[in-house]
Amino acid sequence: MKIIVCLKQVPETNNVKIDPVTHNLQRNGISGVINSFDVNAIEAALELKDRYGAEVVALTMGPPDYEKTLRLAMAMGANEGVLLSSRGFAGADTLATATVLAAAVNKIGGADLILFGRQAVDADTGQVGPLVAEKLDLPQYTYVSKLNLSSDGQIDAVRMLDGGTVRVNGDLPAVATVRSELNEPRYATPRNIKLSFKKDIVVYDEKDLDLDDSEIGQAGSPTIVTKVYTPTATPKVTETLEGSAKEAAQNLLTKLSEKSIL
Amino acid sequence: MFDNTFTPEQQMLHQMVKDFTAKEVAPFDMAIDQKGDFTDGLFQKLIDNGFLGLTLPEEYGGAAFDPIATATTINDLAYGNASVGVTLEGHYKTLDQLMKYGNENIQKEYLDSANHRIFAFSNTEPSGGSNPTGISSTAVKEGNKWIINGDKVMITNGGLAEVYIILVKSGENEFSCFLIDKDMPGFSFGKREDFIGLRGTPVGEVVMNNIEVSEDHLIGKRGQGLEIADQAHDDARILMGAVLTGIMEHALKIASDYAKQRKALDTPLTDLQVIQEKIANIAISKELTKLVYQQAAIRKQNGQPYMEEAAMAKTFGSRSAVKAGDDALQVLAGYGYSREYPIEHLIRDARALEIAEGTVEKMRTAIAKAEFEK
Amino acid sequence: MSEIWIYVENHFNRVDPSSLQLITKAKEIANGRQVTAVILEDHDQDFENTVKQYGPNQILLVKNDNLKNASDETITNVLVDLAQEQKPDTILFGATVTGRSLAPRIQGRLKTGLTADCLDLRFDDDLLVATKPSYGDNIMCEITCPKNKPQMATVRPNTFEAVVDGSSEPKINEVEVTVDVDPRVTVSDEQGSVSNTRSIGTAKRIIALGRGAQSESIIKKANELAGKIGAIVAVSRPLTDLPEFSHEQQIGQSGNTVAPDLIINLGISGAVQYVVGIQNAKTVVSVNTDPKAPIFDVSQYKYVGDAEAFLDGLIENV
Repeated sequence: MKIIVCLKQVPETNNVKIDPVTHNLQRNGISGVINSFDVNAIEAALELKDRYGAEVVALTMGPPDYEKTLRLAMAMGANEGVLLSSRGFAGADTLATATVLAAAVNKIGGADLILFGRQAVDADTGQVGPLVAEKLDLPQYTYVSKLNLSSDGQIDAVRMLDGGTVRVNGDLPAVATVRSELNEPRYATPRNIKLSFKKDIVVYDEKDLDLDDSEIGQAGSPTIVTKVYTPTATPKVTETLEGSAKEAAQNLLTKLSEKSIL
Repeated sequence: MFDNTFTPEQQMLHQMVKDFTAKEVAPFDMAIDQKGDFTDGLFQKLIDNGFLGLTLPEEYGGAAFDPIATATTINDLAYGNASVGVTLEGHYKTLDQLMKYGNENIQKEYLDSANHRIFAFSNTEPSGGSNPTGISSTAVKEGNKWIINGDKVMITNGGLAEVYIILVKSGENEFSCFLIDKDMPGFSFGKREDFIGLRGTPVGEVVMNNIEVSEDHLIGKRGQGLEIADQAHDDARILMGAVLTGIMEHALKIASDYAKQRKALDTPLTDLQVIQEKIANIAISKELTKLVYQQAAIRKQNGQPYMEEAAMAKTFGSRSAVKAGDDALQVLAGYGYSREYPIEHLIRDARALEIAEGTVEKMRTAIAKAEFEK
Repeated sequence: MSEIWIYVENHFNRVDPSSLQLITKAKEIANGRQVTAVILEDHDQDFENTVKQYGPNQILLVKNDNLKNASDETITNVLVDLAQEQKPDTILFGATVTGRSLAPRIQGRLKTGLTADCLDLRFDDDLLVATKPSYGDNIMCEITCPKNKPQMATVRPNTFEAVVDGSSEPKINEVEVTVDVDPRVTVSDEQGSVSNTRSIGTAKRIIALGRGAQSESIIKKANELAGKIGAIVAVSRPLTDLPEFSHEQQIGQSGNTVAPDLIINLGISGAVQYVVGIQNAKTVVSVNTDPKAPIFDVSQYKYVGDAEAFLDGLIENV
């Protein structure tokens, strides 16, 4: 059994600011950390490693500094790390990112299961998992809160929807995106941290993946960001409910129901 | 700040320990103090996640992390709960001596087990205070065996630890260190102290009644005991500086969070100079203590003397942390004085470190002597 | 005429509110474009009856029993076939779990752009300008998809209001299509969330009582309201001394941290230890007789007055 876990590195804090002159995001000095949902994806893979001896490959796309996210995956227990790094990949939207990841999955020789965190905490799209599934023509199991693989190549999962759950099962190979409810991730132990830095990391660029320049980076991205701004802070407004207690209560119920809160 | 010069390994460890502390230690801080012991499962989690083997060589299943990473780990854990930091401090300082002075046979026999068993160092006796030359425990050589007798008290992790390095009299004006194991015939635990702070860390007594050990259990050379005990103190004091930094970070976080969300009449507390001064003072003390323990750790790693810096970290840090707790308490005023907030136990915790591993008075004497010798 | 499609999502035989909200919003920004609600359902279902009340210009209806418990893959097959044939200008989804799963799959097959979790939409000439938050809502981005069609977006639920509009009868365009069921995946019936009524930590709705609301009659009424709206009753620290309550129901520093969608604080002044316990609540309503009670500083709705009378008003009208 082989499992590929796709990872993203995100800024350590969401408290990013916009340069008032250039209007670019000021990300200097903010160090990168692994996307928290991706840690659940690693744990899901490692549980399958513990159970079936699955080989776990950690995969990420980004600048050389993203190596540390792969090292963390290895310190938790992944067998190897693959970094997709090239200037050509820069500026990719979700479609162009998925193109590179899907090509890398093929380059690695495919897998029985390709895992993602449900979404990245910086851009919050959750799109790359389904896109990779589509590009590889694999079934998708998104927002998974329970996951079982059997040794005869079946996947059985529970997806957690907004108001309920649904069980989905079928054949491997497949793509799954996991929720934090799925598991409690293990820690990278000090010893495994040390050992993970002794392993080699494989690096691929677009040539290794046989990708055309038009498919990757900005050129391969249908969407463009036309404006970035800081939302004018709407101070937490307190609305006073007027009138008698009864009127105020009625008024509240109307407002809550308009906002589908009640 | 030295934090920016961490290697990628140190950085990843730092992050892991912070995560571990936030999830596994900090939520139990109050409960540990109230229970007067580690909460259920916490100690096992420290073992399962490899904390006990942090400094052990890789060939013994350890992570072989350096003094800076070790002190940072203690700092990060102590931010969640000071007792967790102190328990590991006692373990690491003991292993330092076993790794430095123990012979190959005893290392082979014991180091591997230190991944899951706590080790402790002991020199204090009921009569002697922390003056090692006043001790009356003895080791007497009979053939190729040593017979050990005596009573050791105030041992950090006493009762929890399974292996002890003890300082005994091995002859006229001759002191030596031996390694003993709780499973040896003649070994028994005495009473546990009822201290006002650091209540998660057991501090207890070990009674030795004709314990028989081989020559391999002599740590270092015969007569080298006082040197080893001094060394253990120095190693401990670096880590105490780290514990104290953690306590101050904790006090700062509570006081700062509180100030940020409260008003006095209509003025936010953050705009009041009396509050700003206290917050600034805590921050300054925290940062200076950190710099000096890091400086001591760097010197240790580079093979330079570090007695003075280690003593400074403990001396400056302990008084500063008590003061930081007191300042934080004043920021929270009535709430600060309440047992519902952890500040009162931070003060009790910090207070212990003005005494343990050499009183601050003794530390100042040692620092002054070192200065006069320059 | 260029069309805006809204994919109508359903769960438990109900149209998801996010789809209805999108119909209203799409009509507001349509500027001559036709708003089409796309409904995929089996023969036992009639979501068109709900949808038409919100006044889309057209309902594109596919009724096929293979659509019962259809997988993302199967729905993708149907929607992609329809989109390739009818070439809508824009397709919108609610940014629900379902919408966020389907939309990128369809995007991938149509090789176009998709903007996620939008908080606002508008058209600049032909371009859909989608406003999406990033970095935990700290930054807003305007995103367009200038060269590819359709333009796609998922929109955060409850961002817009759904408004009933009976001004015109939508045209219902029922189409026959082959439903290619993806044989690799089997989807079982959806199960509703079992709300854990015992734990206030996971409760979605909470009625919290404090020192100013501790009479027997208020406690009784709070429980009555809780039963009606599926809430759970919690307390601030002073009330843990009452026989009815324990530490289990206590919110605050030394109790539980809660993160409900709605919390109604009755007779709670808002001591700092309490406030830290509710800082993750989404909508905070507070009732207190003291107009200066600090709890009002962290509330979206406040009523200065008697908690019991307010409670009566809620019970009567809910």
